[in-house]
Amino acid sequence: MLQYAAIVLIMLGLYGILTQRNVIKIILSLNIMEIGLNLFIISVGYVTDGIAPIMTTNHNTNSLIYVDPLPQALVLTAIVIGVGTTALGLAIAKNIYSKYGTFELDEMEEE
Amino acid sequence: MSAVLLIAVPLLAAFISILNKKLAPVLLLLVSLFNIVSIFFYSLGTITIGGFEAPYGISLVLDNYSLIGLIVINIAFFLVLLISYEKVKKVATVLLVALAGLNGLLLTGDLFNLFVFIEVSGIAAYLISTTNKKYVATFNYLVIGTVGSSFYLLGLIILYAMVGTLNMSDMALRISSEGISAANLSLPFLFMFIGLGVEAKLLPFNSWVKGILGNSNKLVGPMIASVYAGTISLVFGRILTSVFVVSDRLGLILTVILLVGIVAGETMAFASTKLREILLYSSIAQASLVIILFLEGITGWAVMMVIANVISKLVLFAIASYTSDELKTDEVDNLKGIFSKNKIIGVAFTIASLSVSGLPLFMGFVVKMNVLTSIFDGEDYLLAAVILLTSIVEGVYFVRVLIKLWYNKEDAKTINYNFVIKYIVSVLAVLLIVFGTYTTVLNDQVETVNEVFEIGGNE
Amino acid sequence: MKNFLALILTLFLGFLIMSSLNNNIAFPKFGEANIGDRVSDAYIDRDVTENPGDVIFGETDGLESGPANIVTAIVADYRSFDTLGEVTVLFVSALGVALLLGTKKQKRLEIDFHPNFMLRVGSKALFGVILMTGIYISIHGHLTPGGGFPGGSMIATSMLLLYLADDNFRAKVKGFKILESIAGSLYVLIGIIGLIIGGSFLVNILDTGVIGELFSAGIIPIVYVLIGLKVGSEISNVIDNFLTEEGA
Repeated sequence: MLQYAAIVLIMLGLYGILTQRNVIKIILSLNIMEIGLNLFIISVGYVTDGIAPIMTTNHNTNSLIYVDPLPQALVLTAIVIGVGTTALGLAIAKNIYSKYGTFELDEMEEE
Repeated sequence: MSAVLLIAVPLLAAFISILNKKLAPVLLLLVSLFNIVSIFFYSLGTITIGGFEAPYGISLVLDNYSLIGLIVINIAFFLVLLISYEKVKKVATVLLVALAGLNGLLLTGDLFNLFVFIEVSGIAAYLISTTNKKYVATFNYLVIGTVGSSFYLLGLIILYAMVGTLNMSDMALRISSEGISAANLSLPFLFMFIGLGVEAKLLPFNSWVKGILGNSNKLVGPMIASVYAGTISLVFGRILTSVFVVSDRLGLILTVILLVGIVAGETMAFASTKLREILLYSSIAQASLVIILFLEGITGWAVMMVIANVISKLVLFAIASYTSDELKTDEVDNLKGIFSKNKIIGVAFTIASLSVSGLPLFMGFVVKMNVLTSIFDGEDYLLAAVILLTSIVEGVYFVRVLIKLWYNKEDAKTINYNFVIKYIVSVLAVLLIVFGTYTTVLNDQVETVNEVFEIGGNE
Repeated sequence: MKNFLALILTLFLGFLIMSSLNNNIAFPKFGEANIGDRVSDAYIDRDVTENPGDVIFGETDGLESGPANIVTAIVADYRSFDTLGEVTVLFVSALGVALLLGTKKQKRLEIDFHPNFMLRVGSKALFGVILMTGIYISIHGHLTPGGGFPGGSMIATSMLLLYLADDNFRAKVKGFKILESIAGSLYVLIGIIGLIIGGSFLVNILDTGVIGELFSAGIIPIVYVLIGLKVGSEISNVIDNFLTEEGA
């Protein structure tokens, strides 16, 4: 079941965020969690034997069985937002590295 | 005119402002002023976007609830800009986006659109907090904020799979008409609650707060603690009152989480010796208290408490952050006697802190009185006892701080507060007294807010 | 110890989600979603404002929302406001990267790799092809899978190729900024024009044409090209910021 796989991915990401102390690894865990979430969103709209919600010359009417297009639109938004946060997180990580010379949160001097 | 301009104009200004760095702060002030003035010209109602009716298109809801929120938040935003104008210059574009995001949060009537605006205003907040130059704290804020909004999204998607809509009022309608049991709804609502709780600084999810607010400068402190916190509380209130169906068991879990938040927040504030930490732990407790009130259905007075918090936190954090910016310390013991040299600032700080702890004459007292009356009517004595007890604790630690700060000492440090902050905090302090003595205004507003949810809600 | 607690917590949470979704009769099992109950049904039939009857590819015209790609109809028309917010998220994070990493005098990051002649020339030949594909995908977003976001990323990929293949290459960041600003402002302005002419923000003011033709769907291809340009220039900016450092 795809939905359970998605939840496993989300929980893997969450476990990583809770246990890792390396800035880059935390960002990676965040990404794993977001991928799991995106997979979950997509899976919610799946219909058995449904076709992709794009009309073409082969699938040319609205009376066919399409999969739910709304989660696909939502996932596009979620992916773009994920890209934005990742880019920002990496920029902060680069700043942290140039300030402390390490990515390990435990090795940093308390401010 | 349509209220969508409150979001569209700041966005347009943000896109234009990256072309000219010098123009950006001016544009920011102008747009912020435009927003304040224009709020009074919009007519109430639902605003469709793209010409598609709700629930199919996204709609904005401008009712008396969002109207009060918009007025308070936009004015508070403008005042924070004035207080911290020299810090604003570098992040002017970010602040324009933040303004659009906050207005979007207050206006939107669509749950997924709410997620988008949480991210818009959230990313703006991460960037605003980088002006503290504490990058590890900002990084923690980013990670926890992202996890929180992911949880919100997870809950929302489960809800969509069950109900098939994203619009708030349509969601409430379908839940009651399709007879989906409250037990089945607990899981998505729990996740959405946790997600929003992270942003609203509720205790078990609040570990980002200390790094950001404990080191805040005069832009970050008032902006996050007053403007952002107020907005998120109001969003929380709207969702709790118009979408959530809380089963008994879920209600119990949420109440326990919130009560732990109140008690722990007050205890940590009591134990702390740093001015900004005392304030931030106190605001954690206040945030949890407000959410409990929304949960108990005391909506009108909860909104008033949010407003009282926005005003008093703005005063408190503006003064505390300004002082620590100047002196590079916020240990209460090192600040002894500063108010004896700066009487105006001292009086404003005193009024705001006494209002938070609920002494008579001030706005906080009126709000707490009425809240307690409603709780006694509902015969929830445990909650009433907790509120009373925390008020006493708040009173004790605020008075302890005030005595130290007023204590007349010869070698007290002198700080030159500029006239803008003096002027703003004294006007706000006067406002707290006005609302505290002339209570008809508050009562009227409470009536109008309660009416919104009796007609439009899912009672 | 901390890891063990985290493991217990995540296992518990995962088990909680799975079991309560499993026992939840209102939550559809995988593949059994009933679209007829959901708002998406109206997006497929395009009958939010009025019922057009059967929608036939290449024949039906004047629909309320014209793209043959239904996802695009949602992203850029029915829920276009979300897309504006999403563009803003990307805008503000690109801006944040520039704020955090950008200084006035920058040079390329020293990487221990120097591309040879073949790589430099080959990448320049490929650059045009990738760029054109990116633009093609942006323009055809209302007909085929794709659209402004993938198209924009592809444009940025072509820039990344130039950066990787030539260790002295610097793009004209100022130009990207202007492009980004104009594209973003135009998107909002299109919305405001819709508000003035059509009575609501971001309303589709142009004729939607025959479904499935290139010139159809009204403002959607225009909006998608704007988004493509904006996303492309923003991500290129981010790439430039990450590949440069302080220096002469």
